[in-house]
Parts: sequence; structure tokens; C-alpha cells
Amino acid sequence: MSAINVHGLSKRFGDVLAVDGLGFDVEEGTVVGFLGPNGAGKTTTLRMLLGLVAPTAGTATFAGRAYRELPAPTRMVGAVLEASGFHPGRSARNHLRVLATAAGLPGSRVDEVLGQVGLADAAGRRVGGFSLGMRQRLGLAAALLGDPGVLLLDEPANGLDPEGIHWLRGLIRRQADEGRTVLVSSHLLAEVAQTVDQVVIIARGRLVAHSTLADLTAGAAAAVRVRTPQAEALRDRLAAGGAAVQLDGPDKLVVTGVTTEQVGRAAAAAGIVLHEMRFERSNLEEVFLELTNHGGNRS
Amino acid sequence: MTRLVNAELLKLRTTRTAVGVFALTVAVTALIMTAVMLIAGRPGQPAIDSGILPDLVVVAKGPLVIFALILGVLGMSGEFRHGTATPTFLVTPHRGRVVAAKVVAHALAGVTLAAASAVVALGIGLPWLRSKGVEVAIFDADVGSRLLGLAATSALHAVLGIGLAALIRNQVVAVAAGLLWMRIEDLLPAVLHRPGLGRWLPEGAAAALTGASPATLSMWAGGLLFAAYGLALALIGTRFVVRRDLT
Repeated sequence: MSAINVHGLSKRFGDVLAVDGLGFDVEEGTVVGFLGPNGAGKTTTLRMLLGLVAPTAGTATFAGRAYRELPAPTRMVGAVLEASGFHPGRSARNHLRVLATAAGLPGSRVDEVLGQVGLADAAGRRVGGFSLGMRQRLGLAAALLGDPGVLLLDEPANGLDPEGIHWLRGLIRRQADEGRTVLVSSHLLAEVAQTVDQVVIIARGRLVAHSTLADLTAGAAAAVRVRTPQAEALRDRLAAGGAAVQLDGPDKLVVTGVTTEQVGRAAAAAGIVLHEMRFERSNLEEVFLELTNHGGNRS
Repeated sequence: MTRLVNAELLKLRTTRTAVGVFALTVAVTALIMTAVMLIAGRPGQPAIDSGILPDLVVVAKGPLVIFALILGVLGMSGEFRHGTATPTFLVTPHRGRVVAAKVVAHALAGVTLAAASAVVALGIGLPWLRSKGVEVAIFDADVGSRLLGLAATSALHAVLGIGLAALIRNQVVAVAAGLLWMRIEDLLPAVLHRPGLGRWLPEGAAAALTGASPATLSMWAGGLLFAAYGLALALIGTRFVVRRDLT
């Protein structure tokens, strides 16, 4: 059962096609990283899901139902959005009381979520004096108010200090452990790599990858790095065997298309001494950059 | 719907804006009453007799309706200015319901402002008249109808403010447009050589609420027409502006 369905979703703002035929599903109970460079269309997609922006084409639903058709949206979907605002003159608690009143949620939820995001001590202070990190926590508190099964978080780490980011990861993980579905956007893969089960990567409004993190790196280019005093001899030997070999300094080789076992065997057969050999995979960030830059430069 | 109206009333109570407008209404009414007491009875000014009481009730009507209008504009446009429109519309995706709740809540706020103004005016006026030896009947039909009219015009000006801001998202432009219209409307019948036109225009219709005369519509007709203006603006604004993409 998928919790979120996006099908053929497009949005045009004047001349700009911000989202272009985007489609993906998010399974219930998974944590999915929604990734892409700034301007890739992540925020627009999330806002279309939430009924704040009308799609030019396609659908974005929660288990087949549009957000505005949900009987009690705040109890089913919680969202933290970047441009989500607060009245500077209203206290954090009153901000949440207003939302709880409109949603028909018990007032006791207000103090519960304030505690959950670590704002209990600042609850009576006016939001105008809040730091960016505190506002981000208040936004999260609002999203959690209805104890929803699905959470949409748009760049929730923005404005958080390292401690805050650590706390956020824990919070997302706890939500997932409780069986909730989380779609968390970021322009940095590393930021969410520790937290997510899957990634949906978009660039220029289009889907470029939807897979698990393991599959993403498995598909990445890998190389064997070798240090040997007989670099040229080993190069010729491996090249003859069909591997792509590059000399990387007088005593270093970069070999692609082979395993370490194959390199070791070839060296032994030719009586070549190896000083060092290691297998190296492109890291996630490189994979991410390659995927999102594929097909030309971002405009 | 009750939930949404309660939420809107809570919004009004939890910032300083509405409290400030309330305090301003009380202060301005007191100021005007002081001026009235100083000049009443002089040549060309109202006589100090029992007939003055209904006029005292609506003594601060001019500034009061402007405050109510501004309160309405701020209540609607503030959502866009501060970005609270996003959480508001996440909780209530049907935006028309939010506007409807704002209309009700701000109408109630308008009534509260009118009540405060009337209480201050009578609170100062009654002891003053008594000290002048004037016998006044507070439970007078004229006084009652003025009180009702003041409450209605204040409430409906707040509704008009909501409508204006639903149509014009920008706070300053919406307030300026409202105030400018009041001036234009004064001049329009003369400019168009249609002296009878005034009663049909928003402020002309509203005027019937606090002082119906042969030149105005009846109190009920004027009130309904003025309400229709405010609600029409709110409907058009909701349809064409409030429902726009919220990016």
C-alpha cells in the first residue's frame, strides 16, 4: 500500500516548467529522501501534494485521495514547509493553539508537541524573537499536532545547528519506527543518507532516480587503486586482460572493470610486487551530483 | 465552522493588533466626547438637552468604522504578509471556509469595538448631562436603534475590510484603497451629476444604519446593501485571489 502517489505531475509558472511529468510512489511506513538541487522542483511538488499549489497536469495524492478531500487532513498528514510563517507577535503556544482549535484537536496536544520538539521552555515567548532553528522546531511541532501517519518535511534541517540536525534525525527515525511514512526533502544527500530507506532524486522537475541507497551506490562506478614499483608492467598485463587501466603517478594505477581478486591474480602470475591495493567506490555525493547534472547544466 | 470561527477569534486575541485597535477606539471616543462637551450648547452646536443622547451614541462613528475596516483588512492580509496562510490552509484546505470564518469573527470584533465606543460615549455623556440638569432616558427607542446601527456598521465595515483584503493581498494597498474609496464616494454623486446615487454606494448605504433620513435608504435596506457589498468583495476575492497558488 502506498501512502503517497505522484503521477504525471507538472507545474508551469509562466515560462518555467518547474515540475515536468514527475511520477513516484512512497510506500507506507518508509522514510524517503526527496532530493535534488535547489530549484529542482521539490518544494513545488510538496506544495502540490498539499493542495497549496494547483498542478498544471497530473495528480498528487495520499493513498489516492487529494489533500483537500481528506476528512481530517491534520490527523493524516503533517507538513513542514519552508515558507510557512508565524505571526511575529504571537507566542509559540498560541500559534499552535490557533491551529489546534481550527483542526478540532484537543488543547493538550499543544504542550505535548512543544515538549516533543524541545520548545516547552520557550512556549510563552513571541515567535518574533525566535532563531531560525527554533522556528523550524515550531514548524515541526505544528506538523506533529495531529499525530499524522504521513510527514512531509521540506528542508527541515535548514537553520538547525549540528546538534539540532542530530536531534532531527532521531525524531525522523522515531517517527519511522512508529510506522509513519516520512518524505523528507533536501538538496544535500549526505544530510539524509543516514535516515532514509529510499531516495527519490529529481532534477529540473524530472525524476532521475528512485531506489534504495544501496542500489544507488551499487550502480556507481567503482575502481581498484594499486601501488606497485612495477606499475607499467602491471598496466600492460591488466590491459591485455581487457581492463581499463590508468597510470596515476610513477607507481600508481587506477583500474576499472575488474575486481581486486583479478588484479591480485594477475600480479602474482607476472611476479609483480604490490605495496597497496584497495577497492574504491564513488561516494554517494558524487553519484548524486552525477545524476542531477546529467543531461546538461542547470539553468 | 464554529471551530474555524473560534480559531479566528483566538487569532484576534493573541496578538496586539486587535487589542491596540480596541484601545484606540476607546481613546478616540473619549477624546471626541471631551470635544463635544466643550463646544455643545454654543451657537451652531447641538443644544444640551435630552435630544442629544442618540447623537452621543454614534459620536465616534467616523473613526470607529475606519478602525473596524482596518481590523478586517489586517485580519485577512496578515495571513499572506506573515506567511501564516500556509499553516492556515493546511489545517483548512477549503479556503472559502477560512474567509467565511474570518467574516464572522471580524464582524463580532466590529460589534465589540462599537460596544466599547458606545460604552465610553455614554459613560462620559450621561454623568455630564446629569450634571447639566438634563433628564435623559437611556431606554429610548432612538438610543436603541442608534446602538444597533453602530454595532451593525462597525461589524459590516470589518467585513468590508476582509473583502477588500481578500481581493487585494497587499495590506497597505488594501487599507489605502478602502480609505480612498470613502473620499471618492463623497465626491462621486456630484461629479456624475447624480445626487441620488449616493445612497446606493457602500458608504451611503452604511449611513442609513446610523441615521436614516429621506436622503438615505431605510435602515434595513441600507444595512443589507452594505453587507452585500462586503460579502460580494469577499466572494470575488476568494474565487480569484485567495485560491491562487501559495508558493
